Amino acid sequence: MDLLADLTPLFFTLVFVGVLIGILFGAIPGMTATMAVAVCLPLTYSLNLREGLALLLGLYVGGISGGLVPAILLNIPGTPSSITTTFDGYPMTVNGDGEKALKIGIISSLFGGLFSAAILFFFAPALADIAIKFSYVEKFLIIFLALTVIASLSSNVLVGIFSGVLGVWISLIGTYDVSVGGNGDTRLMFDFMVPYLEEGFSLLPVLIGLFGLATILQEAEKGVKDEPLCADVSLSNRAKFSMRDFKGQIINLFRSSSIGTFVGMLPGVGGSAASVLSYTQAKNFSKDPSKLGTGAPEGVIASEASNNGLTGGALIPLLSLGIPGDSTTAVLIGAFTLQGIQVGPLFIGENMETWHTMMVALVVANLVMFFVMFFAIKYIAKVITVPKYILYPIIVMMCVVGAYAINYGIMFDVWTLLLFGVFGYLSGKIGIEVAPLIIGFILGNSAEVYFVKSLESFGTLTIFFTKSPIAMFLWVLIAVSITYSIYTTVKSIRTKRANAGH
Amino acid sequence: MKSWLASLFHVTIDFQESHMFFPTIVMWVLLFLLALIFIIYGRPYLCALRTGERTLSFSTSHIDKLRLIGTLVLTIAYFLSMDYVGDFFPNTGLGFLFMSIPFMFCLSLLYVHNLNRRKFLTLSLNALIAPGLAWYVLAKLFHITLP
Repeated sequence: MDLLADLTPLFFTLVFVGVLIGILFGAIPGMTATMAVAVCLPLTYSLNLREGLALLLGLYVGGISGGLVPAILLNIPGTPSSITTTFDGYPMTVNGDGEKALKIGIISSLFGGLFSAAILFFFAPALADIAIKFSYVEKFLIIFLALTVIASLSSNVLVGIFSGVLGVWISLIGTYDVSVGGNGDTRLMFDFMVPYLEEGFSLLPVLIGLFGLATILQEAEKGVKDEPLCADVSLSNRAKFSMRDFKGQIINLFRSSSIGTFVGMLPGVGGSAASVLSYTQAKNFSKDPSKLGTGAPEGVIASEASNNGLTGGALIPLLSLGIPGDSTTAVLIGAFTLQGIQVGPLFIGENMETWHTMMVALVVANLVMFFVMFFAIKYIAKVITVPKYILYPIIVMMCVVGAYAINYGIMFDVWTLLLFGVFGYLSGKIGIEVAPLIIGFILGNSAEVYFVKSLESFGTLTIFFTKSPIAMFLWVLIAVSITYSIYTTVKSIRTKRANAGH
Repeated sequence: MKSWLASLFHVTIDFQESHMFFPTIVMWVLLFLLALIFIIYGRPYLCALRTGERTLSFSTSHIDKLRLIGTLVLTIAYFLSMDYVGDFFPNTGLGFLFMSIPFMFCLSLLYVHNLNRRKFLTLSLNALIAPGLAWYVLAKLFHITLP
C-alpha cells in the first residue's frame, strides 16, 4: 500500500498545522482562507506535492470554518462566507447561547465538509472520465461556459464578464509560447518591458497581491482599527449544547451541504453566494420563517453547512477540468504548477496516489477542524483580540517571501505583487470583481491555445458548433447561463425602476 | 448559397501573426464591454454628476490617508532597499532579514493606535522575532531563496 506509506506523522502534523493556522486566519476578521493559502504557499516550496497538499487543504478547511467564531461572537463575519452566520449566531450570543451557537456551527461545518468530500470522491473521477474525451474545441467551450457562469452569478453581470475578460487579457501578456504551438513572439507590451514580462505575469505573485496585499491596503485605508469587543468573549455556560439541538434539522443539513457543494462547483462563485443561497432556502422551507434572524439554530446550520460544503465542491472542477471553483482553489492551482503537475482531466487517472492522499487529507482536515474547534473554541475565540498592528506587518512580510521565492529569486515578482496589490485595492473602488478576473487570468492562456489551434486545424468557425454532441450540449448550457444572466439583469433593473417610481 | 455561408465562417490564421490573433479578439470584446458599461451605467452617472445629485469624490473623508499612503511608501522603500542590501550578501537572504526588521517596526508603529510602553515593547519584539524566525525557518531550514 503506497497510500499508507504517504500517511506519515509529518503528513498528519502538516494537516493539523494547516487547519490551526487556517482557523486563525478565518477567525480574524478581514483575513480569509484564500489569504491563508496564499501567504503560506512558500512553506510548501520545500515539501513534496502530497505534503504540500496536506498543509494547503488543512488551511483551506480551517480558513473556511474559522469564520464562524467572530460571526457568532462579535457579529463580524471572519470570512465573507460567514456573513449569514451572523444573522442567527450573534442573536444567540446576545441571548447567552454563544457556546451553543458555536458548537452547532462547528458540527454543521463538519457535516458540510464531509458531505462535499464524499461528493468529490465519487463525482470528480466520473467528470474527468467524460472530460478526457474532450478535444481542443470542447475544452475551449468549457472555459467559455465557465466565464459565462461567473458572469451570470456576479453581482453585476456586465462588470463581472468585463472583469473575466480583463483577466484573460492580462494572462495573454508575454510570449506566445512555442511549446504550445505559438510563434514565440511577444505581445501586448512595449519593447522596454520585454526583459521583465517575457514570461508574462507569474500566477502566484498576482494572487498574493490581489488577496494578500490588497486586503492590507484596504484595512490601512480604514485606519487599521481593532474590532471593539462588543460581546464578552469569555463564554457563559448558561445553555449547554446537546445533540438534541439538531433534532428535525437533518433535511436542513443535507439541503445546505448540497447547495454549498453545487455552488462550489460553479467557477468563480465563492462561499458568500453559497451561504446566502442556502440561508434563503432554509428560510423558505422553515416551519417558522419569522424565527430566522432572531437566533434560530437552523440559520446557523444552513450557513455553516453550506460554506463548508463549498470546499469539496470547489475541488471538483479543479481536479476534473483544471478550472478552479473559487478563489482559494485558484491559489491551489498555483501550488500544483509549482510541483510541475498540470491539473485537468488526466490528473486523477495519472496520479491515483496523490488523488487518494488528497482525499485522506481533506477528510482528516475536517476531523481535525472539528476536534480543534469543538474542544479549544474558548482559546480560539481569544485570537480575535490579537492586535492588527502586529499581524499585518507579518502578512506583508510573508507576501514578499511568497512572491520572491516562487521563481527562485526574481525581484520583478515582488514588484508584480505590489502592482497587483494596488490594482486589487483600486478595483474594489471602481467595482471590478476579483474572482472572475482571477479565473480569467488562470484560464486565459489555455483558452487561447484551444481556440487558435481549433481554428488552425479546421479552418472554420462552425467547428465550435458541429464538432460533437458534447459541443452542442455545452452550447445549450452556455445559452442557459447567458439567458439566466440577462433575465436577472432585466429583473433587477425593473425592480429598481419600480422602486424609483414609488 | 451553402458555399457562401461556408466562406463566411472560414478562417485562416497566418502563423507569423498568430500571436496577435486571440489578443485582438479579446481587446475588441473588452472595448465592446466597456462601451456597453458606459452606455448603461456611465451616462446616468454623468447626468447625475451634471445635475449635482452626485459628486465625483470617492468620499475621501473616510480614507485614513496617513496609513494608506504610509503603507505604500514603506512597502516601496522596503522592496527597493531589500534588493539593494541583498546584493551585498548574495544568496544568504540577509537583505530580507536586515530590511524586514525596520520595515515591520515602522509599519507596526504606523498602524498602532494609542501607543503606550507595553504596546511599543510588543511591536518592537515582534519586529525582531518575526523576521528572524521567518528567515531562519525559510532560508536556513527549508533553503528557500530570499532577497
